[in-house]
Amino acid sequence: MDGAILYLREDDRLHGRVQPAMMPASTDVLIRLKSLSKHYGTHIVLDGIDLDVRSGEVLAIIGPSGSGKSTLLRCINYLEPPDGGIITIGSMTIDAARPVARAELSGLRRRVGMVFQSFNLFPHMSVLRNVSLAQERVLGRSRAEADERSMQLLKRVGLADKAGQFPVRCSGGQQQRIAIARSLALDPEIMLFDEPTSALDPELGLEVLAVMRELAETGMTMIVVTHEMGFAENVSDTVMIMADGHIVEKGPSKDVMRNPQQERTKRFLRAVHDR
Amino acid sequence: MSAADLLPLLRGLTWTVALTAGAFLIGAVLGVPLLAARQSRLWPLRFLAMTAIQIVRAIPPILWLFIIFFGLGMGVMPISPFNAALMGLGLIAAANMAEIYRGAVASIHFGQWEASAALDLGRWSIFRDIIAPQAFRVALPSAASYLIGLMKETAVASTIGVAELAYQGNQLSQLTFRGLEVFALVGLFYVLLSLPIAWLSRVADGYLRAKVAR
Repeated sequence: MDGAILYLREDDRLHGRVQPAMMPASTDVLIRLKSLSKHYGTHIVLDGIDLDVRSGEVLAIIGPSGSGKSTLLRCINYLEPPDGGIITIGSMTIDAARPVARAELSGLRRRVGMVFQSFNLFPHMSVLRNVSLAQERVLGRSRAEADERSMQLLKRVGLADKAGQFPVRCSGGQQQRIAIARSLALDPEIMLFDEPTSALDPELGLEVLAVMRELAETGMTMIVVTHEMGFAENVSDTVMIMADGHIVEKGPSKDVMRNPQQERTKRFLRAVHDR
Repeated sequence: MSAADLLPLLRGLTWTVALTAGAFLIGAVLGVPLLAARQSRLWPLRFLAMTAIQIVRAIPPILWLFIIFFGLGMGVMPISPFNAALMGLGLIAAANMAEIYRGAVASIHFGQWEASAALDLGRWSIFRDIIAPQAFRVALPSAASYLIGLMKETAVASTIGVAELAYQGNQLSQLTFRGLEVFALVGLFYVLLSLPIAWLSRVADGYLRAKVAR
């Protein structure tokens, strides 16, 4: 993984997008959720979530299964349309109570990249094509431009040598790093990670976490639903605990992880540590 | 039976091939918009497509040919036996291919749709770049089986006077009074026609599976 880390810094310096490592998140709010709600029938999954995420902030969302963590993430990029509430991303505001126009949805999804638990690479395309396709279709880049950018990104995640392979020939960890590169290819302002290491064994999970850590260091705004307590405590700036569709507790990561205030948080963290 | 007797059978063979290929092509092409209508967000369109597919599949092919050739052909617009058979079998193939496509599309993991949506690929790109190529691989074996079935089904066209293989066999058997040999030969021709289809399908499937197997 050292190669990937080295490449990451090199690549960023070359592209002038580098920010000092571990730069503190700015005070500008990039994502603001206001009373975001979602229910399936009578079951309330998200019960009026209010949340601010600053530009460059890394927010880890932890909590028990069924607490609404993944749904929250999926509502932010409208993979699950919320039932109510307001999503503001930069200058763009979406009122979930109203039908969303295609152009709005497009604008939202271009600004927000997403990485899935099950990678969801396109199995019938080479690794390079996986990363290039959306650049051509969405950003209108030429094949050559897209491939060039894809190769930079694959280098960045340490997988340039896999460009010509099909995803099936890559390990789970490699597939997830490719999925990260694919998402970054659209130059998103925000990256959402939905349990990115849950389908991986611990060692393969590490290589994905290393890439995410590097990404965080470049100043990317990230929201990460995770069961990786190490990542939550050491890489994220803020940790948020969810249960039953509510935010139970939210604060600077070290405070929440080491000195939780809420009984529900204590119970959850105890269960995690007892495992 | 002389070699000269074989000539009508060979002519019949070409009609069988033409009818099979033509009807399958019509079905493979028309099956796509039919599936799109079947999966449409507009319920009247969905309902219409579903009803059409059900009706087309429920009525026996021979009856479709009679409806088109004797019904439309005699009353509404003159139509040759071959065109009537092509139209009828093409229609049936379209309904069946739409169902084969539907099964193939349904088998694609929902994560593929989600990843495509998250990347903001438009509907057309999702269909063309992501879903269709994967569904094609899934549909290939069923489509090949259907093609073989369709090839055999073309024999029904003999009932409206298309001079295809079964028709020629029937004629020849009546001329020569050697029904067993003639129809055995006709049967052999059908077997010979199905072999390359089955073989091609297996080769293509094996190739695609090796490339993208999960």
